Order: sequence, then structure tokens, then C-alpha cells
Amino acid sequence: MRDSKFAIEIKNLSKYYGNLAALKDVSFQVKRGDFFAFLGPNGAGKTTTINVLTGLSNYQSGDVRIFGYSTTKDYIQARRLVGLCAQEFNFDPFLTIRNLLVFQAGYFGILPPKAKRRADELLERFGLYEKRNAKHRTLSGGMKKRLLLCRALIHEPEIIILDEPTAGCDLELKFQIWNYLKELNQEGKTIFLTTHYMEEAEKLCKTIGIINSGNIVRIGEKSQILQDKSLQDVFIEVTGLE
Amino acid sequence: MITNPIGTASLAKREIFRFLSVATQTVFPAILSASLFMFIFGVAIGNRIDFTSAQVSYFSFIVPGLMTMHLISTSYENTSFSLFLGRWHNHIQELLLSPLSYFEMVLGLLAGGVMRGVVVCTGIYLVSLMFGNFPALHPLYLLYFMVMVSVIFSCIGMLAALWAEDFNMLNMWNIYLIIPLVLLGGVFHPVHLLPQIVQDISLFNPMFYLVQGIRYSVTGVSDISIVISALVTLVMAAVFFNVAVFLFKIGYKLRT
Repeated sequence: MRDSKFAIEIKNLSKYYGNLAALKDVSFQVKRGDFFAFLGPNGAGKTTTINVLTGLSNYQSGDVRIFGYSTTKDYIQARRLVGLCAQEFNFDPFLTIRNLLVFQAGYFGILPPKAKRRADELLERFGLYEKRNAKHRTLSGGMKKRLLLCRALIHEPEIIILDEPTAGCDLELKFQIWNYLKELNQEGKTIFLTTHYMEEAEKLCKTIGIINSGNIVRIGEKSQILQDKSLQDVFIEVTGLE
Repeated sequence: MITNPIGTASLAKREIFRFLSVATQTVFPAILSASLFMFIFGVAIGNRIDFTSAQVSYFSFIVPGLMTMHLISTSYENTSFSLFLGRWHNHIQELLLSPLSYFEMVLGLLAGGVMRGVVVCTGIYLVSLMFGNFPALHPLYLLYFMVMVSVIFSCIGMLAALWAEDFNMLNMWNIYLIIPLVLLGGVFHPVHLLPQIVQDISLFNPMFYLVQGIRYSVTGVSDISIVISALVTLVMAAVFFNVAVFLFKIGYKLRT
């Protein structure tokens, strides 16, 4: 890993879907070890930004770096450092949940004995160990959410990107995920979180960025952004919601 | 070049595991179907066909054709289904987020197609021995052609999986292009028995060279030089492999 001050650096990023500009000259950085909330209304460009960061989307112009590694030129090094907890449940239907994690660890160059140990640790941590030999179809929605998180963490990434990780979760699971994310952040991992729950962002994050219609409309440290207002008020103000 | 051997091996293992876990659908039907062809056409009807001009019995003649036909279809089905299902369920993201190079991704996916093709082809060959076929005259050639032909069609399967938008489109290549070309390439008939004009047209059918290569490896008889067959096979494998890697690199229908 390069000795970069920033975990994420995005410079002048533009992304179009046909004629539609999803991201317009977006630039921002996320410091190493930060807990960053990336907020915005539906269709603002949050998931597109995540897809660009993780290499799931091409982009037309700009420069995107993970710990100094370009996500296009040095994509192998960059991807090694990132774990993505996606919004949707996208698992291989042929695999048991334990095998799913073991194979995923394998792609990251982790040998089977260590991959199995790591998979079991995560499954136990998230209460899925009893289900290790089941296929994901048999899991409840909350369990699938936890499995997404296990998959994102299997290779011990330096940056964990979470796209609405607690959407649809009950309170118990929400608190469990929050506590785990706080733990990871305390261990020095960088967390990049998108959420529609203002309370979640306010409670967990150190830095906040708000995107609207493909433009960054507010970014900074939480105290700087809030200034005695609630995050919801700030969000409504900068996105022009009524 | 492989920079992540564990990752590549892990993907290869997953692909092989996937088809072996449903072997009743991925391996045995092809062997059963070929066995029935051997019994009906090779044994029951073949014994009544005067086939002296082809230098081998009709049974020995069709076995390599059947091996090639199923080698092609199973290799194609394996990669096309696996990759298309990945796109359909979006678990292809597991691969796209990983630190595997595009070359390694194609190589890993290829492993499943090649392994399935070789297992099915070998199975058909072993069944033919039980029906009284002679052991292959050139086993090393046979290995070369089995691997190369399955590389070609595993790669074509990937191209189809990237191009297709639904399962109908996925099957179209196999039904309307691959199977007709394979059958016209001499699976059941020696091309030299056809009218000259059809023989000349056959030279433009790439499947002709693949069928002839495997036929020569098993029986020592072919309508064309083994060197030409081997070269055509090698060039096709190199071209389709590189096209597949290129499409992964540009993210054709993989990245938005």
C-alpha cells in the first residue's frame, strides 16, 4: 500500500450515461482512516461514484485513486484495498455461503486454509455460522445483509465502501452493523458510507459529503457542516428539497 | 501473465466445482446422448453401410465426430451459462471487484469450460471402447485437439454470454450457427464423398478442421492434413481468447 495521505482521491470526475450527466466534474478526497458519509437524494450520483471507485463503471474523464493507485491503470492494486458491501443481494446461487466467502477470499490471493478460518470467523461474528452450509436463497433479508458485509470484509480491505448497508434492517441488526463499523474504523480502516438515514450518518461519521444531481454541494468535517443545525436541515437546505 | 495464481486457481476451482455439482445435467446427458448415437448409427445401422472408401468402419468414423460435437457444445454451454448467469444475477461483481487481471478472469472461466469439454469428450471415447472401438492412434494429438477445441468454444461461449440480453439470445449461437457448422463439418459423413463444390465450400467451414483433427487423432484418417488442422485450431484459439480478454478489458456489458 502506498504511503498516501488520502484513502480516496477523485479529481474532475465526469460520468455520462448517453447524454445524461451522472457526475459533473466531481472532486473530493477522503482521508486515510476517515469515517465518511456520502449523502444525496435518490439518483444524485452516490452509487455511480461507488461504482467508479470500485471499477464497476467506466468514466469519461477525471482521475480516481485509491491510496494513490489509479483505479484504471493500477486497478489490481487498487481493488486489493477495497471491500464493497453493495445494495443488492448478488450471490452465486450454486455456492453455500461458506464456499462463497472462501472463493471470494481466494480471488484476493488468500490460500484455502486461511480463507476458511477467516470465513468462519466472520460467519460467527455475524451470527451466520449455523447457516454456513446453506445456500443464500434460504437466508432471511437480514441474514443476506450480513452476508454482504462478510463478503466485503473477507480479504481485510483497507477501505470499506457500504452502499446503504442498514436499509431494511431491524434495530438489533442496525446496531450490530454500526458497532462493527465503529470497531473497524478504530482499527484504522477507512469507511465510506452512503445512507438515507441522517441519524446514522450523524452518529457514525467524522466527515460528510453531499451530492446532488451529480455535483458535490457540501463537503467537510461533521462539526463544520452541521454548525448547530441537524444534518437533516443541512441536507434539505443544500439539496433544495421541500 | 499470471500475477495472482491463487486467485486464478480459485476462480478455476469455482467453475469446475459448479459444473461437477450438477454433473447429472452437465456431464452425463452428453455422454448418454452420444452413446445412443453410437448404438443406433454406429452399431445398428453402421454395420449395414459399405464404408470401405473411408478406410475405417462407420462406427469408428462417427465416434470422433460425436466427440467433437459434444466437446464443442459442452465447452460453449459451460462458459456461456456461467458468465451469463453471473451477469443476470449480478454476482459477476464478485469477479469484477477482485484483484484478478482481465487475462486471469478469462483464464479462470475458461478452466471450467475446458475441463467440462475434456471430461465429456473422454467419457464418450471410453464408452466407444466398450462398443468395440479401437484405442486412439495418436493420443497426444487427441489431447491437443481436445484442449484447443474446448478453449475455442469456451471463449466463444464467453462472447455469447457478454452479447446476449436474455436466455434466447444465449442459445441462438449454438442452435443457428455452431451446431449446423459442426454437422456440415463432417461429423457423420466423409467430406470427400460430397460433390466437389460442397467439398470446396467445406474448406471455409472452420469446424471442418476441428472435426478432422480429432478424427485423425483417433483413427489416423482425415480429409485434410493434420498440420493444417492443428494450425487452424491454434489460430482460432488465440484469436477468440484475445477477443474475450479484450472485451473484459473494455468492460463490454460488464461495466456501466
